[in-house]
Order: sequence, then C-alpha cells, then structure tokens
Amino acid sequence: MIRAIFYKEWIKIRWYWLLALVASIGFSGFAMLRLARAVSLKGADHIWQVMIDRDAIFIDLLQYLPLFLGLGLAVVQFVPEMQRKSFKLTLHLPIKATTAVSVMLAYGAVMLLTTFIPAILIKFCYLQSVLAPELWQHILYTAAPWYMAGLAAYFFTAWVALEPTWGRRVLDGVIALLFIRIYFQPAKPEAYNDFMPLLTVVTLMLPLLSMLSLTRFRDGRQD
Amino acid sequence: MENVIECRNLTHYYGKRLIYKDLNFNVPRGRILGLLGKNGTGKTTTINILSGFLQPRSGECFILGEKIGQMNPETRRRIGLLIEGHVQYQFMNIEQIEKFYSAFYPNWKREAYYELMSRLQVAPHQRINRMSCGQRSQVALGLILAQDPEVLVLDDFSLGLDPGYRRLFVDYLREYAKSEDKTVFLTSHIIQDMERLVDDCIIMDYGRILVQMPVDKLLNDMHRYTATVADGFSLGEAEGLYNPSVVRNTLEVFSMRPQEEVRAVLAQQGLLEVAAEKVNLEDAFIGLTGKY
Repeated sequence: MIRAIFYKEWIKIRWYWLLALVASIGFSGFAMLRLARAVSLKGADHIWQVMIDRDAIFIDLLQYLPLFLGLGLAVVQFVPEMQRKSFKLTLHLPIKATTAVSVMLAYGAVMLLTTFIPAILIKFCYLQSVLAPELWQHILYTAAPWYMAGLAAYFFTAWVALEPTWGRRVLDGVIALLFIRIYFQPAKPEAYNDFMPLLTVVTLMLPLLSMLSLTRFRDGRQD
Repeated sequence: MENVIECRNLTHYYGKRLIYKDLNFNVPRGRILGLLGKNGTGKTTTINILSGFLQPRSGECFILGEKIGQMNPETRRRIGLLIEGHVQYQFMNIEQIEKFYSAFYPNWKREAYYELMSRLQVAPHQRINRMSCGQRSQVALGLILAQDPEVLVLDDFSLGLDPGYRRLFVDYLREYAKSEDKTVFLTSHIIQDMERLVDDCIIMDYGRILVQMPVDKLLNDMHRYTATVADGFSLGEAEGLYNPSVVRNTLEVFSMRPQEEVRAVLAQQGLLEVAAEKVNLEDAFIGLTGKY
C-alpha cells in the first residue's frame, strides 16, 4: 500500500521533479562555471583572497532556488489533492490517514532532496578542486540553511495546501512567510553554523503542521 | 435484519444554522436506501458524516458496527465511496488509477473494472481530467465494482450525467447490488433514477425526516387528489393531507391515508367530486415536501 502511495505521488510530481532536477543542477553548474571562468582569468589565489577579504561566496544566485523548488514541489503534489476535494479519496483508503499523509510528505521530502544532492555534489566536487578545505566548507556551510529553507518551504506549503478553508490558508501562509525569513536573516556567511542543529530539528518537525490541516479537513471545516 | 448503517440522534449546525436535530435512521443489510431532500436539507451533510469527513455536533453513526471517526482502516476497506461529481484522481489515466487502487484491496476485481471501461470511448492513456462527466462516472463506478465492498455510500451519483449515462449507472449498480447482496446508501437530485434503483427511501425536509419506508409502500399508499374549486378556496388544516395548492381553480393535495378517509375529509369541506390517482416517486416527494 505504501508503494501504491509512492506511485500516486510519482505520477503527480514526475515532470516537476525532472524540471526541478534540471534547474537545480543547471543553476549549480552555471555558478561553478562562472567561478571556473574567474579562476582561469584571475587565478585561484585571487579568488581565495576575495573570499577572505570580502566574505564572497560566489553562489549567491542559488540562495532562493531551493526555496522555490520546495514550494513548487508541494504545490504540484498537494494542490491536486485539494482540487474537487479528491483528498477525500486518499483519506478513504484502507490505511491510517496520518500514515497516508506522512508517507506523502516523506516521499516528497526525499524527492526534493534528490534534486538538492546532485547540486551540492557538483559544488563540492568543483570547489574542493580549486579551494582550500576551509574555503569550500565556508561556501557549503553558508548554503546549508538555504537548502534547509527549501525543505521548510515544502513542508509549509503542504500545510497551507491541505488546509480546507481559505481564511485559515491565508493566515497559515503569512505565518509560513514570517517563519521562512528565519532561514535568510543574517547576511554574513556561516552565520548559521551554531544555529543549524536547532534549525534542522525545527525543520524536521514541520510535517506535524500538515497533521493539523488533516484534522481540520476530517472535522469538516469549510468556508 | 442486521443494520449495516446506524445513525443515532444526529444533530448538526453550520454556524448557528440548524441542519437537523436528533436524526435517526438505519440501513439494513442488502437494502438500497435513497436519501431524498430538497437542496439544503442536509443530504451531503449526512453523506459527509457517514464518510467520516464531518464531525456532527452531536450524535453518532456506525457502519458495519464501527463508529465512524474511529474506524479501523480494515473496515474502511469494506466500504465503497463515491464522492459528489464522481471525483477521482484527475491526474491519473484509467490504467494508472486501476493499478493504484488494486494495491489496497485484496479481492480486487480487475476484470469488472475493465469490462466497464471497455464501454468507454477513451484511450487507455487519456487522463481523467480530460474525460467527460459521464466517462468519469463510469471510471468511478468501475473502481467501486472492482473494490467489491460490502457497503456503498454514493453522493449524488447522477450529478452531471446525461440520461444515457444515468441509466447505465443505475442499471449496472442495481444489478450489482442485488446479485451480490450489497448495502447501498445514496443520494441523487434526480428522483426518477432513485425510483429505478432504491428499495427504501428517506425523504427529508428542513431539519427532520418526513418518511422512511420502502418505496413500494410509499407509492402504494401515496395518492394525489384533485378537485375543481371555486375562486378563493382554501383547504382547511387536516391531518395527513400534505401541501394543498390551488392552480386555476384546481385543488391538488397529497395524502397517504386510506382513500375513503381522505374523501370523507374533503367532503366535509364541500369537495364531493374528487379524483384520486397513484403517483410516481417524484410526485410523492413533491407531495410530501411541497413545490417550493
């Protein structure tokens, strides 16, 4: 039964997943190509110098990409469930409703990570070939909360999409927006290093929000 | 006879608006029961409560002996649900949706589904969101037949269907339910379909049940009485006479009381020339609930 839910989710997200994978790899590849060009023109020592002197990380254009990928994935996965209330079909399946929703969220989160991981690997492979360990780690640590924001955006959007009433959806959306800002607060690279364990725990708790929407849906809340 | 569906003292409000209070009904095993009511009388509310998608303000419902809302998923496997508008996963095609559902039901009858699908003029890979309402209804019905549940809960199965698809749906469903001893609880806004399909009916008015009885008995007992009356005639209150109306000097009134009693009551009001006729289910429904 769990595999059947995976199958349903795959049908919904497959084209978006492919697009997200291409975008994720494409943007990371582009950022690395830009860096490679700068390295070939000015030399790696100059890049090192700029990173140390000006706190540059050279992948700024990737900052909001995971966020949008996470948001988009939740939209293509959960909005079709709410169209004409077909979520009722899912809840009528002979499986616990919380299990069904948890499986859907877990599948989506894993598929989102599969779009992030190749991009992170591309960055890792190239950066560690031209930069000192402290410098490439500096870039990847700086990007870590962006990817965490992508997961958070996915869970928040799922929460909002599964909410049965429009008024509450707007409220939940505002709360989600305010919360998402936490992932993008300090401009200083690596500012989140000490905060990351807590941010990770909080992000991994966010699927519980969808259970609130599930409860409200099953109680028959409507506009 | 064992009751497959039992609802006791159901009360529900939307905000402060009372939908119904202390509603009680049962559906015995092997019966097809149709819930009839005007718009806003609580048909979909009742279906939503029965399907576990609405918590009533008070009261409780049981299907197959289990309280709805705390139902074991295994019990849900024995219940087929048709959502209003024949909603199915729009993003799947007929092969994908069959493959998906078959994983949940051990007794899945693939051939029953594809037998019905063979009647549709759709390509196997055509997505459900590109099908007509009639085609979607057949997909939804085919999935229920393949699931082979003990109990079927169908919300407004005729919504959006043309007469051909309605007839196909009704004939298939009745044949299936009767041959397999299924229990069916359904609503429809097209009452002629109900007449062909249901054994028992519940007719609801705002906030209450007017009658719950076998359709045969209702149609046997209910009569429409007409008489020519003078301008300004108004029928006085009489027990068991429903919704009298006068249109162009013709009085029309419905009753389930024995004919001789009704004639006697009307005679007391000066109506001696009274015609009585049998009614169909739609007329009986109008007779009980009124035209407006």
